[in-house]
Amino acid sequence: MADFKAEVFQNEYLSAGSTDVHAVVSVTCTNAGAAGQTGGAAAEIVIIDTSGSMDMPVAKINAARRAAAVAVNEVIDGTWFAVLSGHSIAQMVYPPTPGMVKMSSSARADALGAISRLRSGGATAIGAWIAAATELFDQLPGSPQCHAILLTDGKVEGEPSTALPAALRRARGRFQCDCRGVGDDWQVDELRGIADALLGTVDIVARPDDLEADFESMMRTAMSRGVADARLRVWAPQGSEVLFVRQVAPAVEDLTAKAEEVTPLVRQYPTGAWSDESRDYHIAVRVPVADPGQERLAARVEVVIDDDVVAKGLVRAVWSTDVQLTTKINPAVAHYTGQAQLAEAIRDGLAARAAGDDRTATVLLGKAAKLAHESGNENTTRLLSKVVDVVDADAGTVRLRNEVAKADEMALDTRSTKTTRIRRDGSSPGTNG
Amino acid sequence: MSECRTCAATVTDGDAFCEACGAPLGPDPTGPVQSDPAQPDAVQPDPAQPDAVEPDAVQPAGLEPDSVQGEADLAVCRACGGAVEDGYCTQCGARAPSPRDHFEEHPADWVAGVCDKGKLHARNEDGMAVAVTAAGVAVLVVCDGVTTAPESDRASLAAARAAAQALTGASLAGAPPSWDVALRAAARAANAEAVGVAKVLGNPSEPPSCTFVAAVVVGGTVHVAWCGDSRAYWVPDNGEPVALTVDHSLGTELIRGGMSPDEAEHDPSFHTITRWLGADSLNATPDIGAHPLDGAGWVVVASDGLWNYASTPEALAAALSRAVTDDPDPLAVARHMVAFANDQGGHDNITVAVARHGAHVD
Repeated sequence: MADFKAEVFQNEYLSAGSTDVHAVVSVTCTNAGAAGQTGGAAAEIVIIDTSGSMDMPVAKINAARRAAAVAVNEVIDGTWFAVLSGHSIAQMVYPPTPGMVKMSSSARADALGAISRLRSGGATAIGAWIAAATELFDQLPGSPQCHAILLTDGKVEGEPSTALPAALRRARGRFQCDCRGVGDDWQVDELRGIADALLGTVDIVARPDDLEADFESMMRTAMSRGVADARLRVWAPQGSEVLFVRQVAPAVEDLTAKAEEVTPLVRQYPTGAWSDESRDYHIAVRVPVADPGQERLAARVEVVIDDDVVAKGLVRAVWSTDVQLTTKINPAVAHYTGQAQLAEAIRDGLAARAAGDDRTATVLLGKAAKLAHESGNENTTRLLSKVVDVVDADAGTVRLRNEVAKADEMALDTRSTKTTRIRRDGSSPGTNG
Repeated sequence: MSECRTCAATVTDGDAFCEACGAPLGPDPTGPVQSDPAQPDAVQPDPAQPDAVEPDAVQPAGLEPDSVQGEADLAVCRACGGAVEDGYCTQCGARAPSPRDHFEEHPADWVAGVCDKGKLHARNEDGMAVAVTAAGVAVLVVCDGVTTAPESDRASLAAARAAAQALTGASLAGAPPSWDVALRAAARAANAEAVGVAKVLGNPSEPPSCTFVAAVVVGGTVHVAWCGDSRAYWVPDNGEPVALTVDHSLGTELIRGGMSPDEAEHDPSFHTITRWLGADSLNATPDIGAHPLDGAGWVVVASDGLWNYASTPEALAAALSRAVTDDPDPLAVARHMVAFANDQGGHDNITVAVARHGAHVD
């Protein structure tokens, strides 16, 4: 049985009249075990785009075959699995007839054979692929832990524009889906929307040759998620407003809109499956004010599995007239507020650049360069430097580049939400810290 | 299951406070209290009756630091009537009042103490332990937890109780060779408890810490030891009141440097203490002193939550005099002085422990 721990980092002291309480809740899972081995069964579907463009160049379809093969090799015996080929429709690659089979050495050998014969041709109907995967998962007995990997090289075409949103509505909560775009002809927003709805990751694999390693690590991670489904449950007092619930590490992901009401004071947020890992959540609650000397619980944050509370953290509000206490900003809250601003500045900056508003783009990407530098987020700094010339990181002065590789821009866009972790001692890993 | 010493209600073993009356539980920190406590003047250790002391009954010490967290919560929110969970209302989130917010000790009819949250602090980080031994020795200990260090409320209570235990133990062992030595040992025991709380918390960067002042009233003398800015005073019925301690604080340094006490008290650094107990203490060695109790009067031990409103011995004596005029019972006196500090604003936690020396006030 997995062990969960929740730790709260906050400055609980509020000045007289203040109402907004911020806290970072760090949730750590240990002894997760492996997918399907500690709880119910696990199920995996690999969806490979085989639209016509995958042949251009042919290296893409070749790399996709190899990537699908290594992913299949990572699937633990006994796991339900299937491989789909996605073009104008979703077509069974393995097993040959609609359904899923349990992984075994013979199933693996047959699947690898089928994958090697993958051919391309047709459109990119991702809505149809998602719908097909949902149907396969739905046919499984019990309620297994379901996960899919989706690879595409293009944007949706060849199906009605309502197909994908409809498919996502049905798939939401049924399975998690990690999305990868190969090359630079796909749309970041489209894949990000799928990953966001299905609690998965999104990334660019610009070079087809890098697909294999990426698929291997993705499937290995999926197989290490021994906790099928955990939720974050947040109680906040009467008259309060949960301003936001945001995952801030390992990546920024706003959960606020995913709230399900449990009771008028309790909301629940999906976090999907867990391996041995830590995730940080930034929670902000606006509570009714109280007099100095009063204390109020601003939020009770619980990690819930199948209605069992497995970890709990208390976020407090204490009103004080002592400015020494009330003016301190908690380092974790400050760090992750900066990381969320960084992700936002990059996204808005790239959008402005795409819209031809160079002035706004320069200001926002400059702000991003400064934030990334200050917080020691070296990956983001490196990705940014391929899109802008950083003139002065301390001041946030940048110059837009005239020639930017599309893949570099897409990499910055997809990876802008990845955050650096605050150190245990509370200091930011930044070079200034 | 066992019984509350104060109200005889059934209590759960391990609870820090009685759910019925709020009195602190745990081993009796006072030692056996004489049913008819002698007046201090009349009290001398009685070598003829060593059996009067039951060693088992005088393992005072009280609570382990951990059990302070086990304090009973009230079942219903005072603000809105909601149910209470984790110490907070499940509806409005208000913190349920805890017995730790206000507690009183009254081990003999000439000794009492009141420890109170005050008005502006959310928690009571003052700790207090008041005891009277069979030999008629009164022990008054006050520790003021440092608010900026979390969980200082645990450290202060554990430290105060450890010191009181050490001092009552010293008294039981017969008159110690030297009360100075016993007081130093008590400060060490108190410091060990404060450091122990930090260890239990996993040695946080800002470890819980507290001040320390202990007064032992034995025969015609009061012995004191202190670290920080919690104070002891001697207020005779007739004669000049005196401060028995000199704060270890930047305020004291300012005054030593030539600033007037009045001016110094308005300096923002006045309350910054230069000695304290806890894992991050640079100097936890107490200063030691003794003063003859010349005639009847009161020994007062207090945290700055009180003396902020009556700093000079004269001002403190005036506040005490009003309290005694109202009701001379020591518990009433301590309560009255706490109420006085709360009326002045109650900006900090307030602790007042008093011992009446000499004849009853008529």
